[in-house]
Amino acid sequence: MEKKHYAQLDETLYTETLDNGLKVTLLPKNDFHKTYSLFTTNYGSIDNSFIPLGKSEKVTVPDGIAHFLEHKMFEKEEGDIFHVFGKYGASANAFTSFTRTSYLFSSTNYVLENVATLLDFVQEPYFTKETVDKEKGIIAQEIQMYDDEPDWRLFFGIVGNMYPHHPIHIDIAGTVESIMEITAEDLYESYHTFYHPSNMNLLVVGKMDPAEMMDWIRQNQAKKEFAPKQEIQRFFPTEKVSDIKAFDSIEMPVNRAKSIVGVKGIEPAPTGREALVLKTTMNLLLTLLFGPTSTNYLQLYDAGIVDDSFSYEFNLDRTFHFVDIGGDAKDPSALSDAVKKILETAPHSPELTSENLTMIKKRMVGKSLQSLNSIEYIANQYSQESYGEASLFDLVPVIESITLSQVKELATQFMVPERMSVFHILPKEAKES
Amino acid sequence: MSIQLQEGVNIHVLPTKKYKTIRIVLKFRTPLDKKNITKRALLSSLLETNSKKYNSQTKLRSELANLYGASFGLSVTKKGTMHMLTVGMTVVNEKYLSANENVLQDGIDFLKEILFHPNVTDGKFDEETFNREKENLADYYESIFDDKQAYASLSLQRLYFEDENQKTPSIGTLEDLNDITAASLYEYYQELLAEDCVDIYVLGDVEESEMTEAFRAFPFKARQVPRESIFYTATTHNKLIEEIEQQEVTQAKFNLAYETNVFYQDKNYFAAQIFNGLFGGFPHSKLFMNVREKESLAYYASSTLDTFRGMMTVQTGIDSTKVEQVREIIQLQLIEMQNGNFSDEAIDQTKEMLKNQVLQSEDNPGAVMEKMYTQQLVGSTLTTAEFEQKINEVTKEEIIKIANQVYLKATFFLTGEENK
Repeated sequence: MEKKHYAQLDETLYTETLDNGLKVTLLPKNDFHKTYSLFTTNYGSIDNSFIPLGKSEKVTVPDGIAHFLEHKMFEKEEGDIFHVFGKYGASANAFTSFTRTSYLFSSTNYVLENVATLLDFVQEPYFTKETVDKEKGIIAQEIQMYDDEPDWRLFFGIVGNMYPHHPIHIDIAGTVESIMEITAEDLYESYHTFYHPSNMNLLVVGKMDPAEMMDWIRQNQAKKEFAPKQEIQRFFPTEKVSDIKAFDSIEMPVNRAKSIVGVKGIEPAPTGREALVLKTTMNLLLTLLFGPTSTNYLQLYDAGIVDDSFSYEFNLDRTFHFVDIGGDAKDPSALSDAVKKILETAPHSPELTSENLTMIKKRMVGKSLQSLNSIEYIANQYSQESYGEASLFDLVPVIESITLSQVKELATQFMVPERMSVFHILPKEAKES
Repeated sequence: MSIQLQEGVNIHVLPTKKYKTIRIVLKFRTPLDKKNITKRALLSSLLETNSKKYNSQTKLRSELANLYGASFGLSVTKKGTMHMLTVGMTVVNEKYLSANENVLQDGIDFLKEILFHPNVTDGKFDEETFNREKENLADYYESIFDDKQAYASLSLQRLYFEDENQKTPSIGTLEDLNDITAASLYEYYQELLAEDCVDIYVLGDVEESEMTEAFRAFPFKARQVPRESIFYTATTHNKLIEEIEQQEVTQAKFNLAYETNVFYQDKNYFAAQIFNGLFGGFPHSKLFMNVREKESLAYYASSTLDTFRGMMTVQTGIDSTKVEQVREIIQLQLIEMQNGNFSDEAIDQTKEMLKNQVLQSEDNPGAVMEKMYTQQLVGSTLTTAEFEQKINEVTKEEIIKIANQVYLKATFFLTGEENK
């Protein structure tokens, strides 16, 4: 068990990679009542084309399998796993992203028992035709709920423009049609390929004795047998800059129009500490250009082009990275035109001064310290992102190290018109004003 | 510890070393009155936008950025018969910063500046800011229509209550917004500062005496404390009111509202918490197990208690054509609860879940302050240990009794089907 102490933040992190390949991270916070644990596989909705464990032929599975698996893991022959957690007062949940599936519980008591339940239920698959078919109605309702959510549709609209081939353009839950094709055999095949301990990590944050906890986890894993570790081969379509669709729009029965601009990263994204540096530099750049302290934001806000719903984010993950910026709009074209213009002239923007950068860095340092109050935030960041040796607790020195010329260089290299795309949601019936 | 600064103005300091931040909350409270709700909502956006000293959003937000990204915001909520305007700020504990700065005192000075020197000229709010925020609030009302579950909840509230104050959303209404002017709003703001009850909470690694002194410098004068109870108990209609609305939606929403006659920490409260947990509050509940797991009719089907208005609501997202089936299953689950068809094991499980929830909330500064505030409003001092004991003591008979006093008063069905 390795131990790393972060003196300024007063936090200690314990890590160990077990014999079966499972990576375990413990962060004791003994002032808290709660313990929160996430068991994550490096497998999400985009991993729909791969060579199954022990086979040599590539398969392509129906869309939405990773998410379907997430739902089905909770049901066992003897009943629902929520009952086992409930017996120990724990609340359990799970979520699937483009690249990860995480199972979690939070509890204030019986922590060792709950950790064992978490490990055991995720490591004991149980699917039958009957239980798989029954789940289809529930997931169809989940998909339809998102169909009515304009912000979700906006996000997938811009992602679809930027990635017409890559599976990131497909809803994480799949479609009502694709999930109908899913069988118990499909689920077992995906499960055995991606739920190998060497493709997973376990994180426990909160009240605990780290030595006792690590020992408990080691013993739990030593009892189980797994196939030999094998490198997972996944396949993704290649995309060209020319594939990016510059504009698209849909109509929805909404009152408020929405507008979003995307900028697609073309080069392979870095990994490890470099990824943390890129992510931080981009966040600084976007905050300088569009943050609440920028003149740009004030002008757009005062002109009625944007309102409080305006936001920006940088997504960087396995196989993709992109920026998206937008929100509700009276005039969706005015919003996307203004945002594009700011992006295209970003390297020479008057917002990019060392004075502004100093202020934004202070803001970012403070915000990152604030976020460390939340056990859930820390855990989710850890399980979703891998910065190699660097971690969430290294963020402050990384923020402090970034220079104005790095920010400008990123603006020059990334904010290129050919990589940009626009998506609008328009109210279905033009309303009289 | 709570200290009275003036009559109707109290400060509550909660020293703890658990967090890397210090959280400050000011709560302004007044009896719920439809004619003021929208003004208060608009004030919450105006005061967040700029002030006399920080006369643009950029200047205001730059000051916060320089305070190491201090979080600052205003919001409006209602509870029972009261409406609250809340001002919140979180600053980083200085000891975690490399630079030696007085972030906490600067943050408190900032709050004072914002509250007592708003962007006002000649007795009215700055017209440009006022018009912009008024327009944005009108747009926000429009956008609620686009969030179907929120829209369904507000529609259900409108059906359930007869009282106009209770029907009105905590963020106000468009019709009331139209009547407000920059001058009338400033006039109301003066009234709010002079008459609302004020509670100040500070949670973090702080000294009580220092905080008390810092907030003594806020020019709050004495004011009267409203005598009425925070609980809304007026009896409303006794017939079941049902409404169907057709919109172009993929998923239908079917929501139900029941009268419970159970209020925060009264003698029935603990049994009602367990009843709700068993009925629709948790993933092992009857609604989750039957509507979702057995019949695959919904992704979510859950119940929530409002113990300040003696009400319980059920939310579901379903296929339009299945509404009668869903209604029957929900009704049947209530009958099952009334007949005591639930196991001792399920009761114990619900008790464990509730105790876990309450302990977990103690890890969240916002939740700790909210609970303290609520307890203060109802004059209760129940500790977490006492809560656990009360929960442990609840018997099956008491839960059955609650199930039998719950009755349905309103349903709202938002459907995509035209021929309804």
